[in-house]
Amino acid sequence: MSLAFSRCICRVLPQHIVQRSSLAEGHAARTALYVPAMTLRTTAPLRAEPKKKKKVDPKREQMMRERLKKKLKKLEKVPPELIPIEDFITPTKCLDEERTRPISAISFEESERRALLLKEWSRYKQKQHMAEMKAVESALESQREALEELKITSEELYQAALKPDFTLLPFTHEGPAYTPPKSKYEAPDGKYTDTTRVYTQ
Amino acid sequence: MAAPCGRMASRSVIQFFCTFSRPKSRNVGFRQFGISSACRVTLKTKSVSETASPSPYGLAAAVYLQRLPVISADCSPIEQSFKDMMHQIELEKSLLSDHELRLIEDAERLKRKQADDYDSDEEDSHMDQDIVLTQDLEDSWEQKFRSFQPAPRVRDDVDKDMSSVQRCLADSLVLVSEQTVGDQKLWLLPQMQWQEGETLRQTAERALASLPVGLKATFLGNAPCGVYTYKLPKPLRTESSLGTKVFFFKAILSDSGPSAPPNSALLWLKKSELQGYLKPAYLMKVERFILDL
Repeated sequence: MSLAFSRCICRVLPQHIVQRSSLAEGHAARTALYVPAMTLRTTAPLRAEPKKKKKVDPKREQMMRERLKKKLKKLEKVPPELIPIEDFITPTKCLDEERTRPISAISFEESERRALLLKEWSRYKQKQHMAEMKAVESALESQREALEELKITSEELYQAALKPDFTLLPFTHEGPAYTPPKSKYEAPDGKYTDTTRVYTQ
Repeated sequence: MAAPCGRMASRSVIQFFCTFSRPKSRNVGFRQFGISSACRVTLKTKSVSETASPSPYGLAAAVYLQRLPVISADCSPIEQSFKDMMHQIELEKSLLSDHELRLIEDAERLKRKQADDYDSDEEDSHMDQDIVLTQDLEDSWEQKFRSFQPAPRVRDDVDKDMSSVQRCLADSLVLVSEQTVGDQKLWLLPQMQWQEGETLRQTAERALASLPVGLKATFLGNAPCGVYTYKLPKPLRTESSLGTKVFFFKAILSDSGPSAPPNSALLWLKKSELQGYLKPAYLMKVERFILDL
């Protein structure tokens, strides 16, 4: 109130009267007219944090983030690069002309012999297959009869026989090799470098 | 694939086996198709009361222990000739390998050296390759191969010993033991009488454990693979025991343990040799599930 009053006086009265009246009013009037640097630090409005951000700004930031996310999603939608199947790609080494084997012509008799041998082989394999199928069928038949007998004999044992055996699988067995295993054989230490190419999608 | 290969079955195959055993019950169930559920319940109760009264047949379980082949079988003549032909065709259709190219190069270089107008300066760039000829490499490989002595595939003396597990490594063998049944000594698959409170598979495991040699085996499932009903001769028949039903359980030998003493009544026989030891009626039933593939 006093400040406003002193301001009005400054405007209306001439300068010398103002000076005298201001001296009479004291410090309050002086700050309104001169604003020395010392008092800048102490006034209340100047001490508060500068509010540069307005209400619209957080919304604007959110919009920016959403736009960035949408752009990222669009980029990610690109289908990942397929891992090449190395077996299907003929290596360039094989297309080298130097590598073709000199073809020796097959005589007529040789081609005849091969054709006849193929026929023999198909006959042999068919017999083998039929024998295998027969053996498997007879084994299955034998098992079916056994289960029937068991059912007639005792229901309890039959139910016990039907239960699946979970201890059986996983079942491993080393298949036949060309030579039998040597007792007390120390295999030499082998060192190898794995050169398989690993692809990541 | 390399010759020794281990076989692994995944969990999904368990379901296959479950469905595999189910059709057995379903086939039998078809006969009782017309029976309602109420009747089925009464049937069940009947069977429970029936087991209280002893069935006329005694129960026993036997183990069909199989030693799978350890080495690959020899090829028959047609297999051998086909194998050779396939090998030849493959060779004809193939391309030259790195090793073969090197051999050809070396041969050409030798020819050039022996020719009259040999210019050693041209060859200077290849001097470092001259130190190891491909033929020398081949010879060193040959030597290494010869220095390795694999175990012999066929040993005649072991093959003739019927009680050894190591005989006839290319075939699958069956364990047969001599047992006293009644008053006779018979050659049978090892069997044991069934006792109350155990499943037939446990009886079969007991039969395997009762053998003098420590044999470790994996039993394939709870279901029997065959059955043999033995009827006692007429004078010995009583009301309670008409005979015995022997159920066979298949097992695969995993570890033979220490070798058996020669006098123990255990034999490892091929399918073709079973005829000389087992009784004909017994053999007829047993042959069906012994696979000699």
